[in-house]
Amino acid sequence: MQLGTLALLLTQTANVLSQTALLFFLGVGLTLIFGIMRVVNFAHGTIYMLGAYIGYSLARVTGSFWVALIVAPIIVGAVGVAFEAGILRRLYGRDGSAFLMVTFGLALILGDVVQIGWGASALRVAVPDLLSGVVLLLGEPFPDYRLFLAGFGVVMAIAIWQVLERTRFGLLIRATSQNPEMARALGTDVQLIRSGVFGVGCGLAALGGVLASPLVTASLGMAASMIIDAFVIVIIGGMGSFVGSLIGAFLVAFVQVFGNFYLPELAIAFIYLIMLLVLIVRPGGLLGKED
Amino acid sequence: MSITPKTKRRNLIAPAEPKTQRLLNRRKVLTGMAAGAVTLSMGPAFLRRASAATGPIKIGMPLALTGPIGIVGQQIKRSCELWAKMKNASGGLLGQKIELVVEDTGGNPAACVRKTQQMVDRDGVRIITGIVFSSEALALAPKLKEWNTIFMSSSNGDGRLTADALVPNFFRPNTSGPMGARTVSLHLRQSKSNKIAALGLDYAWGHNSVQVFEEEMKRAKKNFVGKLFAPTGTKDYATYIAKLKDLDADAVFLVLQGDDNNAFLSQAKQFRLGEKMELLTEIVDLDSIRAVGDASLGLMGSSRYSFTYNHPKNKEFVALWQKEYNNVPDTFEGESWQTMAVLEAGILKAKSIDAEPLRAALETVELESVKGKLTMRKCDHQAVQQGFMVKVVKREGFSHPVPDVVAVYPGDVTTPRCNKTSYDD
Repeated sequence: MQLGTLALLLTQTANVLSQTALLFFLGVGLTLIFGIMRVVNFAHGTIYMLGAYIGYSLARVTGSFWVALIVAPIIVGAVGVAFEAGILRRLYGRDGSAFLMVTFGLALILGDVVQIGWGASALRVAVPDLLSGVVLLLGEPFPDYRLFLAGFGVVMAIAIWQVLERTRFGLLIRATSQNPEMARALGTDVQLIRSGVFGVGCGLAALGGVLASPLVTASLGMAASMIIDAFVIVIIGGMGSFVGSLIGAFLVAFVQVFGNFYLPELAIAFIYLIMLLVLIVRPGGLLGKED
Repeated sequence: MSITPKTKRRNLIAPAEPKTQRLLNRRKVLTGMAAGAVTLSMGPAFLRRASAATGPIKIGMPLALTGPIGIVGQQIKRSCELWAKMKNASGGLLGQKIELVVEDTGGNPAACVRKTQQMVDRDGVRIITGIVFSSEALALAPKLKEWNTIFMSSSNGDGRLTADALVPNFFRPNTSGPMGARTVSLHLRQSKSNKIAALGLDYAWGHNSVQVFEEEMKRAKKNFVGKLFAPTGTKDYATYIAKLKDLDADAVFLVLQGDDNNAFLSQAKQFRLGEKMELLTEIVDLDSIRAVGDASLGLMGSSRYSFTYNHPKNKEFVALWQKEYNNVPDTFEGESWQTMAVLEAGILKAKSIDAEPLRAALETVELESVKGKLTMRKCDHQAVQQGFMVKVVKREGFSHPVPDVVAVYPGDVTTPRCNKTSYDD
C-alpha cells in the first residue's frame, strides 16, 4: 500500500522534529562556546562521539540507557572543563588560529583515544525498552523513540532558554558574552564562567551523542559527519545566538528530511545554498550580530 | 535573545612582528625541514638498491582504515597480517620474508594515489593490495603500468574494474558487486516478491551494483519500482525508509556498507520496515550484525564470505583465526585470505615478484580456497567462484546473530562473461 499524502507529511514532520532535537544539542553547545569565548570549537564533533561511546559503556555496565543519558554528559562536561582550565585558558589573548589548532588537536587525540579504548567496530546501543515500540500516525508505524527525541528536544530547549533568561548563571553568561571586561570589573569570575560554559557546551554535545547512538550506533564516523552540520547550523543561525541555533537546526533538519524526499539530487547542495544566501544577506547569520 | 557581544571586541591579537622577519623565520624553518627530508629519504633509497635482490617481499597496502568504511580496511589489514605472520614463520616466500607497508588513505582516491606513489618510489613496493573503495581502485588502475606494479583486489566491487576499466596489472580474486547482485537476483527469481526496489550508496560501487541488479530484475520479469541513492555518511535513513514504503515494494535490495548499513538496519527495524518488505543485501557482514544486533535477524543477502560455509579449507582457516584472534573471521577477512592465497600461488608459480612473470602466473591460478573452487580467468582477471546466499539467524554459542549459508550458486552462473558487468540470461 502506498503512503497517503497526509500520513507521509505527518511522519516526515515528526522526523524533522526528532532530527532538529539532535542537531540542536550539537549546535547550541557550539554557539554558546563561541558566544562566550570567541572560540570555534573544532573538537565539537569528536566530543559528541565521545558522549556516544561513554554512553555505550555506561549503558552496558549499569544496564540502563537513562543512567547513560544523565551521566555521560556530566563526564564529558568535566572533560570539557578540564580542557578549558588546563589548556584553553592559557591561550586567551592569542588570535583565533591558536584556538583552531588546539581544538583540532583535541579532536585528533580524542579520536585516537576512542579508537584505542573502544576499538574500530561500531557498537550497538539499544533503544530503551520503554521506547522500543511504535505509535501509529494515520496508520503508519512511527518509532516511540523518535517522538521522545522531539519531545525531549522541546523540553531541553525551553530549559536552556529559561536558564539563560531567568537564572543568575544565565545572567552572568550574558553579561560575560556582551562585555567581559565590564563583567570582570563588577566582580564576576569570568574565568569560572568560561570554564562552566565550555563544560556545558561539551555536555550538550555529549547528550546529543548518547541520544543519537540508538539510531546510528556508536561509531568512529560520527564525528566527521556531524561537525559539518553543526557548523552549518551555527553559521545559518548566527554565531552566539541561542534562538539562531534552534532555527538553524530546524532548517537543516527540514531540508535533509523533505529535500531528500522530493529532490534527493539537490538536497545536499540546498543546505549549503541556504548557508550561502544567509552569508550574503546577513553575514552574521539570521540572528547573529555582525562583527 | 542573543549572547553575542553587542560591541566589537577589543583586538586582543599580540602585536605582529615585522613581516620580513616572520618570512625569514618561516623560510629558515622550511629549509631546515626540506634538508631533513632529503637526508631521511636518501638513507632508505640507498639501502633499497643494495637490498633489492635479497630483501623482503614488500606488499603495499594503501587502504582506508578510518572513515565510515574504515572497518573494512581494518579487516583486510588484520587478515593480511595473519597471512604474513604465518608465511614468515615458515620461512617466507621464495626464501624471502614478507613485509607489509600499511598507510591510511581515509578513503580518498587522491590520497590513495599519492600514498601508493610514495610506496612505489620510497619503499620499492611492486605489489599492492587491500584498497577499500572502488573509487580508489579506479584511480590507481591507470598508474599500474608506469609503476610496474601488480594490484590484487581484496574488496573492490565495481564491475568495470574487470571490464571497461581493466588494466593488465589488475587482478580480482574477490567477488565483485555485479556477482553479489546476481546472487540476490538468482534468489529473487524463486521468490514470490514481485515489486522490487533498490537502495545503494551514492558512489561507484552502489551505482554499479544497483544498475546490474535492475537489469537482472527486468530480465527476470519482475516489476522494478525504483532506486534510491544515499550519500556515504548518511545518519538519518527515515526519509529513505518512508520512500521505500511509498514505492510499495515487496522486497528491497540494499547496497550499503559500514556506518550507513548500521544506521539503515537499526532505523529500518525501528520503523518496522521488515514487516512490509523483504530486506535483501549485497553484503552480509558480521561487523554490522554485531553493531545492530537483533535488528539484523531475518536479513538475507549474498555473502562474499561467511565463516559458516562448510568446506575443509574454511574450517582450517576459521580454526586458525580463532586461535589467533579469539573470534570468527568476518567477510573481508575471508575475502582477503582468499586474495592472499591467489597471490601466493602466483608468486610460487612465477618464482618471482616482478610484474611480467607474476602477471602470467596469476592468469592461470586455480585453487581450492576458503570459498571453494576458484579459477582465475585470463581474459579479464576476474576469479570465477561460487556465490553464497545467507540468512541472518540466531545460533547457539554466539552472543550475536550469524549469517547461515542457505544456498550456493556455482561459479559459472554467478560470474559474468569475460569483460562484462552484466549477464545474458
